[in-house]
Amino acid sequence: MKRSKIAVAVVVVVALFLMWITTGTQGKEVPFLSVTELQSGNYDQSRFRLGGNVKVGSILISKTDLLDMEFILQQGEATIKVHYNKTRPDLFEDDCEVIVEGEYRKNEFYADNLMTKCASRYEGDLRDENSYDLEKI
Amino acid sequence: MINTFATLGAVSQNLALGFSLLTIILLLFYIKNNDSRLFISGRRAALISAALVVIATMVLARELIVSNFNLEYVAHYTSRATPLLYKISALWAGQAGSLLFWVFILAIYVLIIIYQNWNSNQSLMPWVIIIVTTIQLFFLFMTNFITNPFTPVEAGIIVADGNGLNPLLQNVTMAIHPPTLYLGYVGFAIPFAFAMAAMITKDSSANWIRIVRRWTLVTWLALGIGILLGAWWAYQELGWGGYWAWDPVENASLMPWLTATAFIHSIIIQEKRDMLRVWNMVLIIVTFTLSIFGTFLTRSGIMSSVHSFATSSLGPLFLGFVFLILVSSFLLLIYRLPLMRTTNRIESFISRESGFLFNNVVFIVMCFAVFWGTMFPVLTEAVRGTKITVGAPFFNQVNIPIGLALLLLTGIGPLLAWRRTSKARLIKQFSWPIMISLVGLVVLLLIGMKGYILISFTLAIFVTTTILLEFVAGIMARKRRFGEPAPLAFWRMLRKNRHRYGGYIVHFSIVLMFVGFTGKAFDKEIEIAVRAGDKFHLDGYEFELAKISTIERSNHFAWIAHLRVTEIGAGPVTELFPEKRIYFHRDPDQRKRQPHSELDIHTTLMQDIYSVFSGYDSQTESASFKIMINPLVNWVWIGSYIFVIGTLFALWPQRRKQ
Repeated sequence: MKRSKIAVAVVVVVALFLMWITTGTQGKEVPFLSVTELQSGNYDQSRFRLGGNVKVGSILISKTDLLDMEFILQQGEATIKVHYNKTRPDLFEDDCEVIVEGEYRKNEFYADNLMTKCASRYEGDLRDENSYDLEKI
Repeated sequence: MINTFATLGAVSQNLALGFSLLTIILLLFYIKNNDSRLFISGRRAALISAALVVIATMVLARELIVSNFNLEYVAHYTSRATPLLYKISALWAGQAGSLLFWVFILAIYVLIIIYQNWNSNQSLMPWVIIIVTTIQLFFLFMTNFITNPFTPVEAGIIVADGNGLNPLLQNVTMAIHPPTLYLGYVGFAIPFAFAMAAMITKDSSANWIRIVRRWTLVTWLALGIGILLGAWWAYQELGWGGYWAWDPVENASLMPWLTATAFIHSIIIQEKRDMLRVWNMVLIIVTFTLSIFGTFLTRSGIMSSVHSFATSSLGPLFLGFVFLILVSSFLLLIYRLPLMRTTNRIESFISRESGFLFNNVVFIVMCFAVFWGTMFPVLTEAVRGTKITVGAPFFNQVNIPIGLALLLLTGIGPLLAWRRTSKARLIKQFSWPIMISLVGLVVLLLIGMKGYILISFTLAIFVTTTILLEFVAGIMARKRRFGEPAPLAFWRMLRKNRHRYGGYIVHFSIVLMFVGFTGKAFDKEIEIAVRAGDKFHLDGYEFELAKISTIERSNHFAWIAHLRVTEIGAGPVTELFPEKRIYFHRDPDQRKRQPHSELDIHTTLMQDIYSVFSGYDSQTESASFKIMINPLVNWVWIGSYIFVIGTLFALWPQRRKQ
């Protein structure tokens, strides 16, 4: 008797929480797209995530506002201009791997979140002369 | 080219693999033939295998310390200039080393359990050793064949100096954070092994739980400390002003901690009332699986995370191992179900058992919420073809009510009686806490609190009151019974009931942490670019950039900002000195120079004033800052200390009655 009552209570509680969790993603979903996907689809005025590398030499920092910055995000052949005017991570630099989150307007990307992953800092390649002090025999 | 020591390491590692295999074979034969000589040999092989792992790890540590750059691993993660502490911590900085370090901890654990159970639990031990050795075998397979830390550099190359360790990781907290987490992750292998051994040997009693209870608590504590150290380091070093980002790898460590927390609660019911046998098995299986899964998330590169290592071939292997553990242990559980039935039932909703049950349900639900959010990109990619992420907003929204439900249960659960709680007891136990919470609620409403914040603070008052009253009631009882003065009664009460009062102390620490978490709702933030002499305002404070000075230290160059903080209408508060540093500043290669923002925090019990010197342009002399006012964050750290104290208190061996 009691056992079934408790079991029913547990099932109800679990079901309610599961509904709460699975519906909780609504409105919080941010698609992770490629630059080509973003540029080809009709994705105006919505939030996205993009991943890629910072094109070498493309970082432009405003002379009047140190926070205001733009750069070209490169994904193989595809590129897109990214605007960002918040604090930049220390590891942000040329050729660095980044993930940006923000809005896409008129072929340009306005990011309000920028994450860096400079793999080279952590996992240097022995064959990369820049990451090592090498002496060839 | 590779020297004698490195060869010793590599060979030890090979032999350890062989002896692991031998252990399993000998013990399986022992189980089949029941010849005790086979058991003794098998156990000896397990000891040798563990010792060999220890030797291999020590050798790798030595090579790191003496900078033997003939080993690829040593050249990758250290340089001659790396300080000794970080040369040692490089042992777990990279993939190959950290996997060896994983087995090293397991080997130490194996040595301990074999020693502890030299003459006891003879029916369980063969299986326990077989299971932990199988786990060891898996990791040894990887360090031997997939990612070997003893791999020499390519022929024809001499590395004059290594790569060095990232300056961000050159921090004492960062040096001890990974091994503490590992102590936790790896530790769950032991209760798991005992649980499986109990099922295999058809021992359906709570015996295995008595053996592993303290072990589980130590492991749970280590994992908890590891998580908290990571949070603290992120707050002190990373400069985004938070301590928890719901990053996949953070989540990976939180998930087994949540299920383990459920486990340490629910085993109490099995010990006291012989219930929930199956449930406890499920919990320990899930906890151990999540530990391995956590290692998998970190190693596989499947998730984009600041913590993950480069994509490697380890992913499928780990996933296969996770799958193997899940399938084999659940099959075993299903096969043994008939043995696990008990006759005891939960008699009433308002009972300690029921409190524990719901506590378990909520912990598991929270773990699922974290799992769902973490795996969402993987799941959506599989189903819809597009990777869809859900960030911190999802986790916060979903977990806040679940967390509050847990907080409520923290207050209610311990006050309920076993079996059923009488109406008189209910009134006696709850009337004061409810009245005091109501008063608190009114006060909070008057000062303008609402929503989750209001609920959270009210629950904090409720739980704190219940805990205080339990202490008071305990002291009063001793005073009446033994006529002891209050301080003595207090001390003896604690000493005689370490589990119970240690538990209360931990509960109280969680309350404090919740107060700190709730403070997050009041965070204020500004990001601004200014010049020396400029002033700006945030949340009733004025910040003045007085000047920027420079300094050159042994391994970096720094610009130091002098930020004067004044409370508007009250006067000066403090001066903050956040720094913008350039590491490797003397390196002629521009690309090797590495900027780092060293932040400065003014901490009080009420709030932190958090300053980051995020950028500096020496030509225009323009400097950018990120300033945050983070209320109550200190209570998270104070709660953390009390959490450790409470757990250690509960763990401390109780003197047995003569």
